[in-house]
Amino acid sequence: MTSTRDLVQDERDQFAFHDDIVYLRETKRGLTRDTVEEISRFKEEPEWMLQYRLRAYDHFLKRTMPTWTEGLTDIDFDKIVYYRKPSEREEKSWDDVPEQIKKTFEKLGIPEAERKFLAGVGAQYDSEVVYHSVREELSNIGVVFMGTDQALKEHPEIFRKYFGTVVPAEDNKFAALNAAVWSGGSFVYVPKGVEVPLPLQAYFRINGENTGQFERTLIVVDEGAKVHYIEGCTAPIYATDSLHAAVVEVVALAGSKVRYTTIQNWSNDVYNLVTKRAHAYARSTVEWVDANTGSKKTVKYPAIYLRGEGATAEVISVAVAGRGQHQDTGAKAVHLAPNTTSRIVSKSVSKDGGRATYRGQLKVSPGATGVTASVRCDALMLDDQSRSDTYPYIDINEDDTTMTHEATVGKVSAEQVFYLMSRGLTENEATNLIVQGFLEVFTKELPMEYAIEFNRLVKLEMEGSLG
Amino acid sequence: MTEVAEPSSAPAPARTERTPRRAPAALPFSFVDRALVEGIADAHAEPGWLRADRLAALERFEALPVESNLLYTPYLDLRAASLDDAAPYTGLDGSMAGAVAPEGIAGLIEMREDGLAARSIDAKAAADGVRLLTLPELVATDEALARSLIDGAPLLPVQEKLAELSRAAWTAGIVVHVPAGVRVERPIVLRWSLGAPRTLVGRTLIILEDGAEATVVEELVANDAALPGAQALLSATTEIRLGAGARLAMASLQELGPDHVVFQQRRAEIGEGADLRWALAQLGGRLVRSRVDNVLAGDRSTVEQVEIVFGSDDQLHDLTSYTRHVGRDTTGQLLSKGVLLDRARTYMKGLIQIEKTAIGTDSFLGEFGMNLSRSARAVAIPSLEIDQPDCRRAAHASSVGPIDENQLFYLESRGIAPDDARKFIVLGFLEPVVARVPLEEAQDRLRDALEAKWAAGLATTGSATAA
Repeated sequence: MTSTRDLVQDERDQFAFHDDIVYLRETKRGLTRDTVEEISRFKEEPEWMLQYRLRAYDHFLKRTMPTWTEGLTDIDFDKIVYYRKPSEREEKSWDDVPEQIKKTFEKLGIPEAERKFLAGVGAQYDSEVVYHSVREELSNIGVVFMGTDQALKEHPEIFRKYFGTVVPAEDNKFAALNAAVWSGGSFVYVPKGVEVPLPLQAYFRINGENTGQFERTLIVVDEGAKVHYIEGCTAPIYATDSLHAAVVEVVALAGSKVRYTTIQNWSNDVYNLVTKRAHAYARSTVEWVDANTGSKKTVKYPAIYLRGEGATAEVISVAVAGRGQHQDTGAKAVHLAPNTTSRIVSKSVSKDGGRATYRGQLKVSPGATGVTASVRCDALMLDDQSRSDTYPYIDINEDDTTMTHEATVGKVSAEQVFYLMSRGLTENEATNLIVQGFLEVFTKELPMEYAIEFNRLVKLEMEGSLG
Repeated sequence: MTEVAEPSSAPAPARTERTPRRAPAALPFSFVDRALVEGIADAHAEPGWLRADRLAALERFEALPVESNLLYTPYLDLRAASLDDAAPYTGLDGSMAGAVAPEGIAGLIEMREDGLAARSIDAKAAADGVRLLTLPELVATDEALARSLIDGAPLLPVQEKLAELSRAAWTAGIVVHVPAGVRVERPIVLRWSLGAPRTLVGRTLIILEDGAEATVVEELVANDAALPGAQALLSATTEIRLGAGARLAMASLQELGPDHVVFQQRRAEIGEGADLRWALAQLGGRLVRSRVDNVLAGDRSTVEQVEIVFGSDDQLHDLTSYTRHVGRDTTGQLLSKGVLLDRARTYMKGLIQIEKTAIGTDSFLGEFGMNLSRSARAVAIPSLEIDQPDCRRAAHASSVGPIDENQLFYLESRGIAPDDARKFIVLGFLEPVVARVPLEEAQDRLRDALEAKWAAGLATTGSATAA
């Protein structure tokens, strides 16, 4: 099957490019108080934000490195560039985007995606939003979709009201780091009763060796409103370690519905340490649909705090861990109000010595009566060099909770492979098909273009391992 | 995800008059030191290797944290224990009572905090070469065997501070030794009884040589010297080795008093084709911290562990089990069930580890809780760590819920009063362990104890009916 392998190599090359960009502004390597002040000054931020950043910086220094997951102590904070600005101003239309950056996006297929499907684009190229367009009709119904930096300037009231309320700077070491040096990310506000008809999409991409990405996303969905936000990431391949420490805050007010979909495919040198959390108020629904195929190490547990009566949470988490990768992912549901419901589904695949870890927390607080919660974790291991762990924490403080948790770990069955091969598939194709079937619970939740892209990513991972 | 406990900050200067609360992981006693350990070795006139082993253990004890598994550090709370006055007797009274084994059992040994209270063995077992000894007796009569079992602590759980406590400071020890091929028909009863506010630090060694079979019932009871309101500590290990093809059924009924603090570390090394069956019941105690390690070392070895907890008042039962699959085609079946009344807390932590060598493993871990009070708290952490995917089964399941309304309705529709129906359902939920207790008399006592506890729960708070 040489032709398949060539094709695969072509596809790999497509994602492994690196443009030589002239960075107009960037901070010196390493993190000091000056770095934080410099970033705030570059951005001409109000004083309260500078103070917020400095407080977070102090907390970051104080906080010890987490030891419950391995490998984080390898991060060298002094080698990282904390802020880069690829172009001087925010671009309003595609034509104004600098040619070199545009070429990168074109290779990723963004313009087409926009024409066909996008409701708006926020593309992060290193640390600043360089291209951002919101379709006119969305603006007309009052939906705000812009870079987080821009929102701080243009929508200061709503920004300040919610920023840092879901994930406080003191939440964990990497949330503190993000709060100190955050840059870029998306800001979404959907007004009362407005249903955004198409998904909002943001493409994120790291470029540049040792570039830290500290984007900050804040999504506020007002009462009875509805939105689906999608982010996907690809990154070029470098030898040294990059750090991505993002914070995503979602506020789902009463009766609203939010879905947040992520396809994470950072290159295999990136530390991806993300704090994602949503507050779900009365009768709202929050869904995290989260896939992790790339990065060297991902530590991410999308969380939902069910704060209002009748709120619903759903997390679908998928991880594929290949050679040299550790996907430490999972989900958290914290029930704080009566009659709330949560469902967590996790699927992981580990192969070629990769390690997939599910870590989850399900908590029912005193007073949260009538809770229904379920957790389902399935892991597939493709060889005996790989490792799979499941660490669920279930903490129930009420007497009428109904909670179920199930987990299984297994391998691709020889019978299934044999059956498919007897129908004319090669062993690789058969295994690939079985893995895709295993992950279908996730894929079927994606818009079609993303489902195709995701299956292609999985195929790339599989071919890379078996070919 | 899991909050890592930060070092508690020093109290503010203005409030120095308040004594700072003890940290959850701080040890509630301070009696262990070199003088104590040397004193115990002197009192027993121990050989040099044993003294050296105690001192090595003391060093380990001082170096280790109470919980060395970072997965579980968020759920560790020793604050309910207050053992400032606790100290063991250095030398125990060797005089004994009861030379004849009671009807229906093969042997009995009873250990109190101040000495050996009873010991007997029936003629048949003695003739077969079964040994039921105190640990000092084994050291005196068969030093080679004693040394092989305790020097370097080959059978103790590793990285376990409280096991090192017993290894350093044990004053009482029980040895059950069954020679190869010997089948002990009737149960052997090992009774540990605890009373006054003193400490009993002990070890139990159960060694079944190749092809041996035995049934052991362990009873942990409060004796008449118990002083209400004064806490006492029982810290004890159980070290089990099963030779090829050996079979052991081991039941343990923990019915200590409401002021007793219990630290238990048990570990079993299971040889080729050997079979171990645990039936563990936790009813008493103010604070119980228990750890069971099953090491399925031999090919085709099997373990079944069934554990129940019935917590009420302010009881905290903190239970951990490790099942490590090393040999080929091994089987692990673990089931934990908890019923909680009042403000009781139960932590059920379980970890299945499947090593690379463990091809063909079948492993299941189930943790099920029934919260019957709004103030009760059940925590379940059923974890998996898998390095070998070629398994028959690797799964866990967990649920927490109230009494099943359908079952209740069914029983009530048959004319059973609601309170009785609840009792039947709860006791039925716990019956799997009761039915596995190998001694009829002990089974009956356990059923009575469970019923009494249920009745007391009804009487004091009415919480049992509040579901």
